[in-house]
Amino acid sequence: MTTTPTSAARPDDLRRHNRALVLRRLHVSGPSTRAALAAETGLNRSTIKALVDDLAENGVVAERVPTRRTGAGRPSLLVLPQPNAVVVLAVDIRVDQVAMALVGLGGQILGRCSWGLRAETRVPRETLTKIVDNCELLIEEAGVEVAAVGASAPGVVRRADGLVHEAPNLQWTNVPLGAWLGKALDLPAYVANDAELGALAEHLRGAARGIDDVVYIGADVGVGGGVISSNAPLRGTDGYVGEIGHMVVRPDGLPCYCGSQGCWETEVGEAALIRALGLPDDAPRGVIAAELHQLATQPAELMQRLGEFAQWLAIGLCNLVNLLCPRLVVLGDLFTELPPKLIEHVTDLVRKRSMVSRALGGVRIVTSSLRNDVKLLGAAELAFEQVLATR
Amino acid sequence: MSEPILSLRGVNKSFGPVHVLHDIDFTVRAGEVTALVGDNGAGKSTLVKCIAGIHPVDSGEILFDGKPVHIHGPRDAAALGIEVVYQDLALADNLDVVQNMFLGRERLSGFLLDEAEMELAARRTLASLSVRTVKSVRTPVSSLSGGQRQTVAIAKAVLWDSKVVLLDEPTAALGVAQTRQVLDLVRRLAEQGLGVVLISHNMNDVLEVSDRIATLYLGRMAAELPTRELNHSQVVELITAGRSGDLGLARPDVVTI
Repeated sequence: MTTTPTSAARPDDLRRHNRALVLRRLHVSGPSTRAALAAETGLNRSTIKALVDDLAENGVVAERVPTRRTGAGRPSLLVLPQPNAVVVLAVDIRVDQVAMALVGLGGQILGRCSWGLRAETRVPRETLTKIVDNCELLIEEAGVEVAAVGASAPGVVRRADGLVHEAPNLQWTNVPLGAWLGKALDLPAYVANDAELGALAEHLRGAARGIDDVVYIGADVGVGGGVISSNAPLRGTDGYVGEIGHMVVRPDGLPCYCGSQGCWETEVGEAALIRALGLPDDAPRGVIAAELHQLATQPAELMQRLGEFAQWLAIGLCNLVNLLCPRLVVLGDLFTELPPKLIEHVTDLVRKRSMVSRALGGVRIVTSSLRNDVKLLGAAELAFEQVLATR
Repeated sequence: MSEPILSLRGVNKSFGPVHVLHDIDFTVRAGEVTALVGDNGAGKSTLVKCIAGIHPVDSGEILFDGKPVHIHGPRDAAALGIEVVYQDLALADNLDVVQNMFLGRERLSGFLLDEAEMELAARRTLASLSVRTVKSVRTPVSSLSGGQRQTVAIAKAVLWDSKVVLLDEPTAALGVAQTRQVLDLVRRLAEQGLGVVLISHNMNDVLEVSDRIATLYLGRMAAELPTRELNHSQVVELITAGRSGDLGLARPDVVTI
């Protein structure tokens, strides 16, 4: 959101900007010394002191003499973000369940709950009611004040007002989730696509920390992607980028609910994995995980049963790597459970087949390190982005 | 699809003249939450105690990972990878979180306890379950809330790399918010691929968290069905009458106690 400034920056604007900069730094990188803050933000040491003193006075940070000393001289004070001082509510709506958590400054989870979704409880209004009920319980238990709410939804979401255009696996169309949440909880509410938030969380706190070009691929029931390009999210018009599950990889393949045929999702999504493993159609997530864990110990059987699945995974990944040129690809959700041997095999295939990967000296492909919490933490970051900027 | 992780076939158990379990067939699959429901005295806790090795079974077969096993005591059950969490928050009050998690199975370095190693393992386990509500692993358990104690008891199962976790009314002594946190943990255990058995009296919890529901009625297995095929009133009928429409025991009039 960069607009050309129309007036000169006033000192208090500048101060607010710097304060947000320091707070953001502490939120993302955790406790650091005043000296380190000064070095990283490029601000004067006395400016840092004034800002930190101000934050400490408001209880947002605490200061402590570091226990481990490095170098000579008086040690610089360690600045610790206080998780309870700024808290947001994160909501992760998936196809088969909803998870909620209170997340404090620094990304700490202060309380959480979840419940399963079934065909009859998947309707938008009922889901919203449960979110509101559970929100009250969580806040009461943790005894904190919530500043904003961030939500993740498995579908096409308009960023500006949090309207869920289409979430086919939930069978939601045009649900004004952002407006509803904001009104029901009386808090600022932000909603975004689940894979986009997955990319955000992995970039800030997970496997993709410190890497500027990343693609996150999440496989819940559907397959979606989030892209970080040159250290910023790639959004496209209105923010709809990332429906990578619906690139066609097999024109004579299975029909897809999106209206197309042979989408990548029909070859590597949850249903395809269940088919490849020979499990019953309605196998819950844990059963798939247990089967994959068992396969991980039997390399011969693994390639026999999942060889074709790996081929389709590699085909899609090659396309993505060639198109988006990431340094790292993070596989999330259901893909997290894939055996390491299979991931290695797919990585080799991509390295052999993709020109871009060869040019980069081999793109790395890893599984999510935040596992099931990735979208919760992403949703929390979505809210924190706004909260910390105005604090 | 692979073998169920745990299955019981034709298990019988009597206490003197009282025949508590009649020819019970019961299956636990890895990655699923199987809810075990039934009225008071239906035999739920006895069944769990038979699996945990506290009561020996009179007849019938127990298969673990497809192989017949004999469970003679809690140690046998633990060695197989079966962990039990009881409703009465069964932890040692005077010990801290680490000591409780390793109670009876302490790690040694030479002749001394390897405290550092145990503390690290406990911390890692709690982190892997993203349990961040327990502040320090050196807090005595007596100062924890009910929900936190239950969390520690469940984390113990993960620490010992258990394959099956039996939870005997883990939320009976907890408030609403803490119940929700424990149920969340139960779900996540199953998502990691563990076989979970949940005993509960709360129908909403059962319907929300379980993948299958097994109903005991007067010591018999009335029905074992996927949760998605059942509704609230059917489960209640199965619990109270042993049958619901075509489901459940065939002719309740000939059931003898």
